[in-house]
Amino acid sequence: MIAVRKGKTKITIDYSKCGPHGDTDPRECTKCLRQCDRPVFHLHHVIVNGDNPWDPSYWQVTPIYTSQCTRCMRCVEVCPVNAITVSW
Amino acid sequence: MNARNYQKELAEETNAVDHLNEILKVFDRSGVTPVYGMKFAGVGYKLQTPIIGRVVKRIINGVLHNEGPKRKHIGVDGHFGQVLPIEDASYIIENLAAEPLTLNYCVCRYMCRGEKDARCIIFGVMSEIADKIPRYIPENVKRPMDREETTRYLESFSEEGLVSTIWFHPVPYITAICSCENPDCMGIRMRQDYDIGLLYKAEYVVQLNPDLCEGLGDCVSACQFGALSFSPTKNMVNVDLDKCYGCGNCRNVCQHNALTLVPRNDIKQVAGRY
Ligand code: SF4
Ligand code: SF4
Ligand code: SF4
Repeated sequence: MIAVRKGKTKITIDYSKCGPHGDTDPRECTKCLRQCDRPVFHLHHVIVNGDNPWDPSYWQVTPIYTSQCTRCMRCVEVCPVNAITVSW
Repeated sequence: MNARNYQKELAEETNAVDHLNEILKVFDRSGVTPVYGMKFAGVGYKLQTPIIGRVVKRIINGVLHNEGPKRKHIGVDGHFGQVLPIEDASYIIENLAAEPLTLNYCVCRYMCRGEKDARCIIFGVMSEIADKIPRYIPENVKRPMDREETTRYLESFSEEGLVSTIWFHPVPYITAICSCENPDCMGIRMRQDYDIGLLYKAEYVVQLNPDLCEGLGDCVSACQFGALSFSPTKNMVNVDLDKCYGCGNCRNVCQHNALTLVPRNDIKQVAGRY
């Protein structure tokens, strides 16, 4: 079932705050992943040339199932570095 | 229950090693990797637009069930699964699954929750490939395990309320039995929320004996698929057969044996609907 909500939900993550080039490693934090009940976010590695594909070291969080977002804003509240915005 | 689906020859025939090598390396990227030019990201919105939705669904389903030799080794090609009651899952582990058997961290839970949880039992060539990926190898678990030990793990997961699922990887080669929950499992997720055939219902469906149900409602919270609800008026449980995946977890917690699994095809309403 695809929940019907007015308008599209837009979720952004500021990768300069969280991710391979930010200060926070999402693998250590995982707060948004755990707080979102739907769950909207995915933790995944980023393919970078020269990285070992069997044991990659660059990871980030991406909002995948944005259509499932209930707009509860919990992820925005828990993110310790204020990297997430949710708008619609 | 065809033993051939587990054998090494089939693995070679279907190029399973190449397929698994490619797929496992990037498995935790499956949400962001384009499949035939489409990303799963935002898929819900694509499906909402009626015509595009139908096309997207058809393409994705076609990719998943691709059995042809020209299968491209990317993304989720030829990878889908089915729910199994715990008896069938144990039978497969005890009798059919190809050695070596290993227990691995669940990729879905790591993607969805950032949690390393050892729940996935994988067989044969897939075990050998998973050995190369340190992030999926749990600590303090023997590697590989014998059949008895593996069955014990599987049964303990089922007691916790997780749903056993069996996976083709690539079809028709059977490589894994996972213990899943909704909505952390990508397969359940895709099927429940988007009706994409990544996971099929079991060969069974639940039946409630109204004479035995005392209205305790333990089964309601045991069902991962929302097929059961409690009716205060009847002081009994309501069953929605269309939502039932036939996993049998509700039956395992019922103290009065009011719930049983029967073959799906014996019940006209849901026969042939997986
Ligand atoms: S607003 Fe709520 S539902 Fe939406 S992504 Fe954030 S935590 Fe999840
Ligand atoms: S809560 Fe914020 S810092 Fe933590 S993983 Fe999510 S986006 Fe990164
Ligand atoms: S009703 Fe019972 S058998 Fe059907 S999906 Fe729910 S727990 Fe499984």
